[in-house]
Amino acid sequence: MDQAADLPIALDNEDALSARLEAFLATQLGRPVKITALKRFAVGYSWITHGFRIAAPGIGGVIDLILRLGPSYGLFAPYSAAPEYLSLKAIENQNVPAPKAYFWSDDPAILGAPFSVTELVRGEAPIPWGEAGNMPDPLRDSLATQFTDALAALHNADWQISGLAALGAGVTNENVAGLQIKAWEHNYRRWTLRSYPMFEFGLQWLKEHEPVAQRVSIIHGDYRLGNFLAVGDKITAILDWELVHLGDPHEDLAWACLPQYRGGTNLMSRLITREDLYSRYMAKTGLTIDEKTMLFYEIFSLIKLAATHIAAVSVFERNHFHDMRMPAMGTQIAPVLRQMEKALEAVT
Amino acid sequence: MNHSLESLFDGIIETLRIEILPKLDGEFVRGQAFGAIYALKSLKLRVSWSPEFLVEQLDALKACAEQLAAIKNLPAAAPRPILPDNYPHTAQQLEQLRNDGDDAMSALIVWRGTHKAEIPADAAAAANHAIKTYIHRQLKHELKTSAKPMFAEISLGKEIG
Repeated sequence: MDQAADLPIALDNEDALSARLEAFLATQLGRPVKITALKRFAVGYSWITHGFRIAAPGIGGVIDLILRLGPSYGLFAPYSAAPEYLSLKAIENQNVPAPKAYFWSDDPAILGAPFSVTELVRGEAPIPWGEAGNMPDPLRDSLATQFTDALAALHNADWQISGLAALGAGVTNENVAGLQIKAWEHNYRRWTLRSYPMFEFGLQWLKEHEPVAQRVSIIHGDYRLGNFLAVGDKITAILDWELVHLGDPHEDLAWACLPQYRGGTNLMSRLITREDLYSRYMAKTGLTIDEKTMLFYEIFSLIKLAATHIAAVSVFERNHFHDMRMPAMGTQIAPVLRQMEKALEAVT
Repeated sequence: MNHSLESLFDGIIETLRIEILPKLDGEFVRGQAFGAIYALKSLKLRVSWSPEFLVEQLDALKACAEQLAAIKNLPAAAPRPILPDNYPHTAQQLEQLRNDGDDAMSALIVWRGTHKAEIPADAAAAANHAIKTYIHRQLKHELKTSAKPMFAEISLGKEIG
């Protein structure tokens, strides 16, 4: 890489970004690479996502690719592309529809920020809000089945034989809940611009009720309607892996069951009844869903959600992240904390 | 629950300038955007959180402080909010008082968790009741003073309903 390439680049300078990406891919593939049609997508709240194309033979025949960049001012900064990349590699051929992952680096000298390069998968993302979330019963049933099966397959994946094993050192069934509480408490303390007594109340309750996991699995971290692509009645890819980590499978289930993603219906992620989700999931994983553990992870999910909204306020007000979705998320801190208060009313 | 009104105004203005204006075509539409920026800059000089919005929270903190003070065997080391008899006049001072009060409430919750053995059961129950009453009143007030969410519109980029 020449001297100019060592200098940081503005992430919105698409010409410079293309040139740097061509140089990086040429080194990785051992041949010259020409990039065309680099285009930023208006998706996601956190990583910056670009689509681009490389000439045939592409990478293993794939010519349409995705570049994701984790900017220093982003919602969950500072970023590392490693967990997402390693998780996607770990679930290849494990019946979890997901983009193929090709390259990653956390070195900002290469493209100006940590990044990953994956396959572009075709499809539309059904969203949980408004009329747009309505769908005919046969379509919903088909998506619900695949949604549940993909989650079960993810939680069945043997991460210990993959590159994720290094990230999982020291994670046990006994300490995994505590590690997650610690991580999100740390996030809250570095993001928040003021104190939220209900947040502290929820954290305290979690610390006093840590469950032991039946299994440590790969946890997507944001598994719900809105975070997968579908073509017709077929889910083509589960997306948004940025919160992936090792954890208790109840965590993804509780998140998928949050009222926020039910679109005003009684269906989990606007797809499936709680009973059907539980019974199919248990049959596919051999795990038992424990109601006390579900309550723990429901409260934990609300802690994550409130902390994410608090992060949004922080990046807008402190990091100058010019995105009006951030202060809009800030208005949701109180409703999420109120939801937590209600959920804890009977048990505190 | 956005934090600073001043930062909120600055962020909206910057978003309009940097993200929206460069993508607008036509003199009239761009002029409208500049008009919105000018209006926001003017508002920023005169607007603050309303005293009604902040005083309700201070009243809730004061009620909680009184409840905590009435718990005879709550250890003196327990953090608690301290409110003056008369509230200050500026929004900034009221806001600071609210933030200090929430800091104290948060410290009390953490302290309670780490000093369980030192708190008699009846005092712990009474303190728990006081904390929960405050939290409930604060959140109810926050929800009452929030606009209806527009996340479907924000996701889809078009008017809904």
